[in-house]
Amino acid sequence: MSNTSSSQSNATCPACGLLCDDVIVTTQGNQVKVIKNGCSKSVAFFEQASDPLNPSIDGVAVHLNEAISHVASILKRAESPLITGLSTDITGFRALFGLSQKINANLKHMNANSISRNIKVLQSTGWQTTTLTEVKNRADVIVCFGSNIAAHNPRFYERFVDVDGMFVTTKNRQVIVLGNTKKTPHIKSDTLQPQGLSPQNISAEADYSCVRASQILACSPEHLPAVTIALRALVAGKTLKANKVAGISMADLQTVAEKLKVAKYAVLTWVAKDFNFPHAELTIQNITETVASLNQTTRAAGLVLGGSDGDTSANYAHTWLSGLTLNDDEIAHDCLVWVNSFSTDKSPPETNKPLIVLGMQAPLGITPHVFIPVATPALDCAGSLFRVDGSVTLPLKKIRESKLPTLGEVVRKIEALL
Amino acid sequence: MITHLKNGKIYDPAHNKNGVIEDIYLYQGRIVPKPFDLDKISHVYDLTGKIVMAGAIDMHSHIGGGKINIARMMLPEFQETKSYTEPEAHICTPNCSHNATPSTTDTGFRYIEMGYTAAFEPAILPINARHAHLEMGDTPMIDKGGYAMLGNDDYFLRLLNQKADQKAINDYVAWTLHATQAIGIKVVNPGGINAFKFNQRRLNLDENNVHYQITPRTILKSLSRAVHDLGIAKPLHVHCNNLGAAGNFQTTLDTMGASDGLPMHLTHIQFHSYGTEGDKKFSSAAAQIAEALNKNKHITADVGQILFGQTVTASGDTMMQHLNAKHANPKKSVIMDIECDAGCGVVPFKYRDQNYVNALQWAIGLELFLSVEDPWRIFLTTDHPNGAPFTSYPHLIRLLMDKSFRNEAFAKLNLDAQAMSNLTSLNREYSLYEIAIMTRAGAAKLIGLNNCGHLGIGAQADITVYTDQPDHEAMFAKPDYVFKNGELVVKDGKVVKVVWGATHVAKPSFDIGVEKILSEYFEKYHTIQLDNFKIADDEICDDGRGSIVSCKIN
Repeated sequence: MSNTSSSQSNATCPACGLLCDDVIVTTQGNQVKVIKNGCSKSVAFFEQASDPLNPSIDGVAVHLNEAISHVASILKRAESPLITGLSTDITGFRALFGLSQKINANLKHMNANSISRNIKVLQSTGWQTTTLTEVKNRADVIVCFGSNIAAHNPRFYERFVDVDGMFVTTKNRQVIVLGNTKKTPHIKSDTLQPQGLSPQNISAEADYSCVRASQILACSPEHLPAVTIALRALVAGKTLKANKVAGISMADLQTVAEKLKVAKYAVLTWVAKDFNFPHAELTIQNITETVASLNQTTRAAGLVLGGSDGDTSANYAHTWLSGLTLNDDEIAHDCLVWVNSFSTDKSPPETNKPLIVLGMQAPLGITPHVFIPVATPALDCAGSLFRVDGSVTLPLKKIRESKLPTLGEVVRKIEALL
Repeated sequence: MITHLKNGKIYDPAHNKNGVIEDIYLYQGRIVPKPFDLDKISHVYDLTGKIVMAGAIDMHSHIGGGKINIARMMLPEFQETKSYTEPEAHICTPNCSHNATPSTTDTGFRYIEMGYTAAFEPAILPINARHAHLEMGDTPMIDKGGYAMLGNDDYFLRLLNQKADQKAINDYVAWTLHATQAIGIKVVNPGGINAFKFNQRRLNLDENNVHYQITPRTILKSLSRAVHDLGIAKPLHVHCNNLGAAGNFQTTLDTMGASDGLPMHLTHIQFHSYGTEGDKKFSSAAAQIAEALNKNKHITADVGQILFGQTVTASGDTMMQHLNAKHANPKKSVIMDIECDAGCGVVPFKYRDQNYVNALQWAIGLELFLSVEDPWRIFLTTDHPNGAPFTSYPHLIRLLMDKSFRNEAFAKLNLDAQAMSNLTSLNREYSLYEIAIMTRAGAAKLIGLNNCGHLGIGAQADITVYTDQPDHEAMFAKPDYVFKNGELVVKDGKVVKVVWGATHVAKPSFDIGVEKILSEYFEKYHTIQLDNFKIADDEICDDGRGSIVSCKIN
């Protein structure tokens, strides 16, 4: 790549859990433009500014080596350091894991709560799930629980639902929405096959699920526990005495149960991040146990959606490196290392302890004790990430010029001084 | 500089050496002839009275990738079972943690501490291959490699359904080996994982997949032919239909005939050797299976021995694992359909010596070991972690080598199971030479590792040194020395130096034209780009630790 010529390439987008790898971008020097298959999130990610960034100590620009030795001196003094954020790719996470072993630090991802909601189900009953290519080719009934999926995964419908698969056509797919719904004024609700949700035709806040849905049962998030357990009971063949649950008539819920039972391959999907109420894992478990019940006679599967900031990758790599998943424990610390490679809008937790920031930019409104800018995977350097459905790992490419060191390089230099 | 291993008692079946006293010289990671200039020898190890073998090779062990990581995630309680005190858990070796889901570091350390210098992940879903290599890349000390799973992917079944010629199949198989950086091809419940997605619950060898109207026999014939035509050493690795089902021995016998005499390897055959006799309609068919194995010289097998205690079963066989999930202990399981590629099923399991079925499974495995005559065609595995963690190998070796130890263990089993087994009438005791065949020379020959599993000139200097003692469990659990690529890495059963092994692959030539059809398929049905499906060499080597070794193509 040179500063003068422009080149076109296929990029893999780390901005959400779908890891779309068909995003066409052009690059001129350090300027990137998304020209095809973008969405609001990928445009924001790829087209972010690449201002020359300097390491700093207490807001004062310093040489990289000075910043690194300052970090090392803080870490040496720390008795219970916490490395958090953890928004990076697998290579970056491996480096952080190595550092954590060396300095006896705890690790916590910025999405610890949503990771934990799913993991608690996995560790309690397990589950029966599927992946995106199966959804595209097999799913004839898709039930979305509680979330505006497109707000998390903007191209979910375009890539996996509004497209003909090997064993099902898009017009034969039913989408059912159960949860907090927002009508969108942008697309007529009688349109069953719009051209996909993208920045071109709909805003990210609008809920495309409701546009696409053939059946919508509205309820607020706090009612999801009751609604999901009622559905679980109905699918299991139980009769419920109540006529309504959370404002939804039992007869309507029964029609959902019947659709699931006759589906050839039903997919029940959720985004754990939106289940922001106590014991959300029990609601997820209602969904996965509904799936288990269906699988006694027909085929169905759960689908984990959402995912961001390399959360799936950090959790998977942590699991194979240590034998255990990441958790959401509240951890006391005397020093905080905040790692954020992917999301400019995320900030470190409040702390009155020394704060070290490694990432794409210093968080707004905060002056960390030490800030070291590092290369962003999928933009400034190569790497790899897990997709949200867990079975697919994709390589990330370097697509623009950058002189920034990688997270791994910075961490290795810090370790060398410990 | 040269390392001199002096006066060891050499067990090297590849060169017919059965306990001869010889010297071995190591230089730059290889075994070399006796040097002319003895001044160049920098280290001498006096191995007088010690047993010397090549490093052991585990040809089937689930060490990395999706399902084993799911098992780790699902079972945090396993990380806390460091001291195992239950009386029925007689699989203890002095150094082993009995963790069925070790971290990648633990995996490498526990293997090398037992003198194993290579292990092969037998079930890599092609779409999950990058993940498997990432984990294996984080597994220190040992060499590794894997077998890519085909035969349940929609692309392949479409080819068969469209009556594609063998060349199209061969090109696809070769392309998959390249793309996934694998050394062999495996098929799990041929056609059955796919059939389960169409809600089919069982599939026999000559029964059609409801959608594709293709039988498992057709799949086996096509894939074993492809593997043979491409000149890959490793025969098609077959996990038969009807895993774990009473009466499945007939399927296993019939499967031996499905390849028209071409080589096939039937894996964890213990789980496929069950009859339906007796009051409980579950019996040993080890005698019939062993007889057929003795007769069918084109078939090899590994046992998949079970040992008592807590473990977890992790398999690509969603159809049968969904059926087995009701036996889960602790009561949880994961079943996944994956990417129109295959699937996985993870079911924790506790084998109990007072349980009739479990006790008989234990006996069936040993009956197979002792009744199959040719140690070059039967391999020592527990299908880690499915039958037991690999850390139980020293215990298993003692069961094979020591009849009275075996019979004492048998006498503690469920009495009904004892009545249904002829184990005590089998007097065979494996020799050190036969153990070296099963765990070294035979495994290397099977996979096609020309420079491993033997102690000849030019061999990779992976060498294990033991002290001979009557308790062979103690002996195999704690080698005196292990050398990896010529370096001393284990002393007295403990790691003294951390090293990183190579990844072994097979890359047969093929017609790249296959990518044209594949890219149309990817474009239409897949959800990633074809180019991103393929794993580049750099992805394995670029971290400064990994390296790739290509095996010879015939």
